[in-house]
Amino acid sequence: MRDFEFLEPADVAEASRMLAAHGEDCRAYAGGTALLLALRQRLVAPTHLVSLGRIPALSGVRFDAAAGLRIGALTRHAELAAAPEVLRHYPMLAGMAAHLANPQVRNQGTLGGNLCYADPATDPPTCLLGLDAEVEIASARGTRRLPIGDFFVDYYTTALAPDEILVAVHVPPPAADAIGRYTRFLRTPAEHRPLVNVAVTARRSGGAATAVRVAVGASTPIPARVPRAEALLEGRAVTAELAAAAAAAAADDIFAVSDGRGDEAYRRAMVRVVLRRTLAALFDLPGE
Amino acid sequence: MGKHLITLTVNGRAEEAEIPAKRLLCDLLRDDLMLTGTKRGCETGTCGACSVIVDGRLVKSCLMLALQARGAAVTTVEGLAAPGELSPLQQCFAENGGLQCGYCTPGFLMAASALLAQNPGPTEAQVREALDGNLCRCTGYSGIVASVLAAAEKLRGH
Repeated sequence: MRDFEFLEPADVAEASRMLAAHGEDCRAYAGGTALLLALRQRLVAPTHLVSLGRIPALSGVRFDAAAGLRIGALTRHAELAAAPEVLRHYPMLAGMAAHLANPQVRNQGTLGGNLCYADPATDPPTCLLGLDAEVEIASARGTRRLPIGDFFVDYYTTALAPDEILVAVHVPPPAADAIGRYTRFLRTPAEHRPLVNVAVTARRSGGAATAVRVAVGASTPIPARVPRAEALLEGRAVTAELAAAAAAAAADDIFAVSDGRGDEAYRRAMVRVVLRRTLAALFDLPGE
Repeated sequence: MGKHLITLTVNGRAEEAEIPAKRLLCDLLRDDLMLTGTKRGCETGTCGACSVIVDGRLVKSCLMLALQARGAAVTTVEGLAAPGELSPLQQCFAENGGLQCGYCTPGFLMAASALLAQNPGPTEAQVREALDGNLCRCTGYSGIVASVLAAAEKLRGH
């Protein structure tokens, strides 16, 4: 690993100016669990790291019944998993964070770092897409908010401009009848990168599901909603047949990647199985 | 590139070192402070042999810059017992076949220590989950899990 200057700005504006000044020779640094690997392999060789660890605005988890959840970008996965307001109002999110990667990475890696790295084979992006999350982005020029689906552009690529920093993730307040489930599928228990992941959220009033969101990731370059699967389920009482049809639609419609961890056909087949089982668990369907 | 003077506490002792920014925490411990109990295994964050406890958090010291441990309290395997002695956890590893070659053992001991500090009465499933970030290529884990469960019982005074 090449040496670098380690810069420690005190606020977002200073960090943004540093990032702008050093451009491509510079990387923002949070927990380090992902970036250090890339540095070690010299996939990137920045001359400057801008550490965000001393910026208070990036910390903390807050819940407000009207505004929803604000997760500071530097929140570690283990903190997210254990936060009382997350456990109470967003059990799907807490459960995702509680099993991501492994204990050591959960204790050091941050949610913001995970999202900005935009590794396709990881858990938070798909889960947060299913939860309709937004990201809060800031620079010395001002702040903006984006739906998380627009934040991911491609493999390891986000919508952040070179001088921008991810400040926080916002999750809307859950409806009283909200249900949701996140599932990761690992090829082997020892492999911590999901091959497929699925997030489904809905409102369940009476027998029917409404406001259905189906998000699929890890087998796609970036997580994506599946409109045809959502339309099949929307407003209906979900049965095993309907779940199977929605799962088949998702398997057909996704932009599936094909690589050494799994070819396209295998990935589509696993998307179908994982989504069907996720729907069965979410809607208490028999037979799985 | 400038050097950084850092101070931290390791196993209860105040330490200080002058390091480049790129120094990993595992390298600070092993090469600057000569605490070679912490092992470098895969150096890709996979094997967990470099696990240490930083301010109460179990982390992989190959996935952390030493600069991130400034001012922190770090515990390594050397901090588990006085020199020449074994902690109850280490004693249980010895008695329950918790190691063969021993290379991964410091990491497993730190992961188990972190678990038992938070949860004195873990189930077998909780032990296995807490050791999920550590790899052993000799024992096949049964002995390690048995060691941690035995230590939990011993530490609870049974």
